[in-house]
Amino acid sequence: MKLYLAQLWAVAWKDLLIELRSRERVGAMAGFTVLVGVLFNYAIDPTLVRPEDIASGLVWLTIVFAGTLGLGRTFELEAQDGAFQGVLMTPVPRDALFFGKVLSNYVILLVVVFIVLGVFGLFFSLDWGSSLGALVGGLALGALGFVAVGTLFSAVSSGTAMGGALLPILLFPLLVPVVIYGTSVTGRLLVGRPFTEVEGQLRILGAFALVALAVGAGLFRYVVEE
Amino acid sequence: MKSHVANEASGSGIRWLAVGMTMLGLALMLLLHWQVFFWVNTEATMGVVQRIFYIHVPAAWVGVYLAFGIVALCSGIYLWLGDERVDMAAVATAEGGMVFTTIVLLTGPLWAKIAWGTYWTWDPRLTSTLLLWFIYLGYFIVRGSTENPEQGRRFAAVVGIMGALDLPLIHLSVTWFRSLHPQPVVLKPEGPTLDPDMLMTLMTGLLAFTVLFLGLVSFRYGLERSRWNLDLKTRRAAAS
Repeated sequence: MKLYLAQLWAVAWKDLLIELRSRERVGAMAGFTVLVGVLFNYAIDPTLVRPEDIASGLVWLTIVFAGTLGLGRTFELEAQDGAFQGVLMTPVPRDALFFGKVLSNYVILLVVVFIVLGVFGLFFSLDWGSSLGALVGGLALGALGFVAVGTLFSAVSSGTAMGGALLPILLFPLLVPVVIYGTSVTGRLLVGRPFTEVEGQLRILGAFALVALAVGAGLFRYVVEE
Repeated sequence: MKSHVANEASGSGIRWLAVGMTMLGLALMLLLHWQVFFWVNTEATMGVVQRIFYIHVPAAWVGVYLAFGIVALCSGIYLWLGDERVDMAAVATAEGGMVFTTIVLLTGPLWAKIAWGTYWTWDPRLTSTLLLWFIYLGYFIVRGSTENPEQGRRFAAVVGIMGALDLPLIHLSVTWFRSLHPQPVVLKPEGPTLDPDMLMTLMTGLLAFTVLFLGLVSFRYGLERSRWNLDLKTRRAAAS
């Protein structure tokens, strides 16, 4: 078990270290987030609809789009010079490799989640304050399921000639539950509804994440098999 | 990669099964259309447009439930055993399933425009069926866009399994989402109590669609198998 976790962490840390030094994906995702915020601002006519009424939808779609942008590059770097073959030849079990990739993607996506909260809070003068803990918890839980499914399909799309362009087609249909429950949790907490009202939805987001992690870990070895 | 040399005899067996099932299916289709257009009574409230129901519901049974169920099952077995014949069955079924799901998505709005007053609503069944269509689409795209065909088959199987696991959850969540909102007044669940003649017509429809579907899928399976054998022969000839 200790070895397994060490292997998992080795994979995740390798990716995070690369990210820490290149800041390639976080940079692209952060830039995307801020610019989407600017575009949203001009896409919404405040005399017709108040931005705070649709804030939870904007937040979730930005996370999904920015996340897909970053997830698509999960295996991109290793595709060069046969580096992924090297990763596969290490004694790391396939599911530990999957969990490691999920972990590094998750950390990167959480950074983006905080950027979204900060930028959208600023741009649309939203007040996250009243129940920030539950709000972040809901976003983190939904993001975990998203990352689990996304990492698996990123491995699939990287193996095809279409690459990252295929990822949304594979991923978006399966994300409908995350977007529905995630938007509802965020939206309700944002208007100050009590925590008990979103508890059931948080549970479903958690269940989705657990199932996605388990099934993803089981199927991952068939995706990367040589 | 395991290889299974399919013998010619069983290949022709499949072909005869395909011909028989397809002919029977087409004959049943004729019967169904006679029943739909001339025999069954016009429904009292919806009128003539309700007759599309006898095409729509059987197509949904075949394309959504039967086909996708088989695709998911075959995908799992293929990943488990690695037998190409199971994958051939999966891809044949998926193609048939996508065609019948397309029929569902075309006939539904035609009926809905008159019965509900709109081509499209975000009703749970409509949403799930549309997303299923896209899962089928992804299934074919990943198959076709890998350099190594064996890898494409594995990718498609993964898409099939993930789709089958997620689809019930998608259906549940869109149902829950809709139930938050008031239903449009035009959209009311119709009573399931069917007149015996209508039930009879529906049963003919279900039988006709199922038999025709299995016939077409057998044809497609036979084709896939011939392709496999040809490929094997070409490779052998090249090697010798």
